[in-house]
Amino acid sequence: MKKSLLWLLVVVMSISMIAVFSLAGCKAAAEEKAAVEEEATPPEEEVVALPYEGVELSVVSTVGPFTSGPIKDHSPEWTEMTGGKVNLIEVPFGELFEKIMSSLIGEVEVFDIVHYSAAYIGDIAGGGYVIPLDDYIAADERIAWDDILPSYGEGIAAWDGKTYSVPFDGDNHILYYRSDAIDNPEYKEEFKKEYGYELAPPKTWEEYEDIARYFNGWDWDNDGKVNYGTLEYMARNAQTFWAYFSRTAPYVCLPLGHEGYVPGGLFFNAETMEPYINSPGHIKSLENFIRMIELGPPDMLGYAASEVRGGFVAGDGALALDWGDIGTMAQNPEISVVMGNINYSILPGTKEVWSHKLQEWVEMTEVNHAPFLAFGGWLFSITNNCKNPDAAYDFLSFLTSPDISIKDAVTGLTGVNPYRYSHFENVDAWAQYWEDDPKLYLDTIMETIDHPNVQLDLRIPGAFRYFDALDVNLSRALSGEISAEQALNNAYDEWEKITDELDREKQLNLYRASLGLQ
Amino acid sequence: MAGFKKIKIKHIFILPTVLILFAFGIFPAVASLLLSFTNFSLAKVGEGFSFVGLTNYLRLFSDARFILSMRNTFIYVILGVGFQYIVGMFLAMLIYEETKINKFYRVVFLIPIMLTPVAIGYTWRMMLHGTYGPINHLLSIINLPGIPWLSSTIVAPLTIMLVDFWQWTPFMILALLAGRMSISPEYYEAAGVDGASKAQVFAYITFPILLPVSLTVILIRAIEVAKIVDIIYVLTGGGPGVSTESITLYGYISGVKQFNLGYASSIAYTILVAIMVFGFIFLRLKERFK
Repeated sequence: MKKSLLWLLVVVMSISMIAVFSLAGCKAAAEEKAAVEEEATPPEEEVVALPYEGVELSVVSTVGPFTSGPIKDHSPEWTEMTGGKVNLIEVPFGELFEKIMSSLIGEVEVFDIVHYSAAYIGDIAGGGYVIPLDDYIAADERIAWDDILPSYGEGIAAWDGKTYSVPFDGDNHILYYRSDAIDNPEYKEEFKKEYGYELAPPKTWEEYEDIARYFNGWDWDNDGKVNYGTLEYMARNAQTFWAYFSRTAPYVCLPLGHEGYVPGGLFFNAETMEPYINSPGHIKSLENFIRMIELGPPDMLGYAASEVRGGFVAGDGALALDWGDIGTMAQNPEISVVMGNINYSILPGTKEVWSHKLQEWVEMTEVNHAPFLAFGGWLFSITNNCKNPDAAYDFLSFLTSPDISIKDAVTGLTGVNPYRYSHFENVDAWAQYWEDDPKLYLDTIMETIDHPNVQLDLRIPGAFRYFDALDVNLSRALSGEISAEQALNNAYDEWEKITDELDREKQLNLYRASLGLQ
Repeated sequence: MAGFKKIKIKHIFILPTVLILFAFGIFPAVASLLLSFTNFSLAKVGEGFSFVGLTNYLRLFSDARFILSMRNTFIYVILGVGFQYIVGMFLAMLIYEETKINKFYRVVFLIPIMLTPVAIGYTWRMMLHGTYGPINHLLSIINLPGIPWLSSTIVAPLTIMLVDFWQWTPFMILALLAGRMSISPEYYEAAGVDGASKAQVFAYITFPILLPVSLTVILIRAIEVAKIVDIIYVLTGGGPGVSTESITLYGYISGVKQFNLGYASSIAYTILVAIMVFGFIFLRLKERFK
C-alpha cells in the first residue's frame, strides 16, 4: 500500500513539474515573441487593417477556364484588398447541381458561395438555402445594380420578390455564320440555282437546314480541309436540351397579342401544369434537329459546347448557335482562324407556329422569332451556412462590379457574356481585344434580349430534373434509338411524374409566378 | 470463471471491428433496404417520406430505361468478360515459358490494373475523340475513315468493352498463368510420351485442370463488370441515348442526380440479388467441376 502511495506521489510530482516547466517555457517564449514583435511592429498609425484578414471563403463552381476562370483570376486582387482568401472548388458541369444540392441539403461539404445556372434558382433559393441580398445591394454603390439589364437583375437573379443572387453572366443563344461563305458571290449563284432563293443569313430553321446542307462536306474556304454545314451540341449530359429549346421556341411560341397565344408555350400549360413538350411544334422542331446530324462532323453526336466553339473558331463549320462565347473566342488569334470572316444574327424563326390554344398550325405573315434566354446566365448566391456573409458579399460585389466584369465580358474563355448596360455601351473596351467591329455582335445580343417575343428559361424547382429527363430522350432520338415523337412522349410521361412528385399545385403556382402571371 | 474472462477479453478485442462493421457495412445495407420500400427523395427532404411497399420494385418492370441498362450490363458481362477470358487464356499460355521476354511481359501486363479507372477513362476519351483524337488521326493518315468511337450507339458499347478489356485482361492472364504454373509437369511429360498434340494437351490437360481457376476469375470479373460505372461515366456518360448506360450508372443517376433515393435503393438491391443468383449458379458449377 505504502509502495503504491509512493509511486502515486512520484507520478503526481512529475506531472506537476512538467506542467510548471512547460508554463514557464511558454511564458518565456511569449515574452520573447512579444519583444520581437514590439521591435518589428511599426507605429500604430502606419498599420492598415484589412477588413477580412483571416477569412476564408469556399466557392463551388464548374471546371474552368469557362465560368470559374474569372473567380481564379480576380480573387488574388480581392485578397490583396481585403485580406480574405477564396478557395475555389471546381466540379464538372454535369455534376454541379447534385454537388450543390447535396451540400445544401446534407451539409456534408459546406460552401460559402455557390455559383450556378439560373435554372437552379428554384431549387436553391426556393429551397431556402441561400440568403436574400437586397439589403447588401441597397447599401452598395460598387455593384451598380441599376447598370444590370432588368432581365437579369430584376428577373433571373430574383426569387419570390427578393434578390437572392448576383448575376455574373448574361446568357442567350445567337446565330453565328461564316460571312466568307454566305456572302461569297459564287456560292450565292450556285445556291440560288439549287434552292431557288437568295443565299443570306438564315431567317427560318428551314433556311438554316438548306444552307447547312449546301455547305456540308466540301472545302468551301479553300484551306485544304473538308468543312461542315453546321456545328451543334448533341452530346448527352451537355448543353443539348438548350439547343433544342432555342430551335423549338419559334415553333411553339406565338407573339403576345396573337389569338392563339399562351404564356409559357415552351414548357407547361400555365393553367394545369400539363407539359407541352410533345406538341406537334415540339416534334417538328426535334425532327429538324435530328436532320442536322448528317449536316455536321461525323461524330457530332458527341459534341458539347467545347467542341462546337473550338470547331467553329478552327474554321470547321458554316453555321452554329451558341451563347456569346464563340464571338469572343473568334477574336483570339491563338485559337481562331475565322477572325474577319464571322458574323452574327438573332436565331432563325419559323413561318408556321403551333398554337397550343387553337390546337392547330398558324401561318404567319412575317417570320416568327422567339429568341431564347438559354440557361439564363450564371448566378452567385451566399449560403445560409456562410459564417461571414459580409466578406462573401464583398467578394461578389468586387467580382461582378462594372470595372471587373467588363474585362471578363470582352475576353474569350471566361464564359462571361454581357449583362450590364455598360458592357454594351463601352465599345472601346471591346475594341481593345477585337480585330472585328464588336458593334454588330453586341447589337445582336441586345436584339435577342430586348426582343418582344423573348422566351425565358425554366426557373422552377426541379428544373434540372425536367431537363435531365428530356436530355436522355433527346439523346435517344438523336442517336436513332427512338423516333422524335416517341422521345417527346417519353419526356411528357416523365415530366408528369416529376410534377406529381414535387406537388402539382405548388409547381403550378411557382411556374405561373416565374411567368409573371401572379 | 477463467473461461468467462477469456471470452470477455475476446469480445473486447473484437468489439471495435464489430462496431466498424455495423456502422459502415451492416447499417447502410439495412438502411438502404428499408429505403427501397419508401418514396424518400432528397428533393423533398423537409416533407418526410412514407412507406410504399413494393411500388419501387414493381416500377422497375415498367421502366424502359432500367430494362435497357440491364440489357447493356448483361452484354458487358457476357461479351466483355467472355472475350477477356479467351484472350487472357491465350496470352497466359504464350507467356508461360520462363524466358526473359516473358518475365518482362508479366510486369508490363500489370500496369493497366494499377491505374485508376477514372484516369484511364479520361485518357481513352481523349485518344478516341472523333475529331481531335489521335487514333482517328492515325486512321486518316492511312486513308481510313474515322470511327465514331463514342458517338455511335453501336460502336460506343464496344468501346466501353474495349477499354475494360484493356485494363482487366491482365488480371485474367496473371490468374490463369498462376494456375498453369501450378500444374505438375508430369502430366505434360506423360502426354508427350503418348504423342499428344499441343491442342490435345490443352484440351485434355490444361483446360480441365484450370477450370476451377477459370470459373473463379470469370466470377470475380463478372461481378466487377456487373457494377461497372466509372469508365462509362467518364467516357460516354451513358450515351448516346442510353446505349452504354449500365445498371449501376442508372442507379447512381436515379439517386444522386434525380434524388430518388428510394427508387435508387430498389435498383441497388435488384443488382445485388442478380449478382447473388449469378454467383450461386457459378459456385454450383465450380463444385460440379471439382
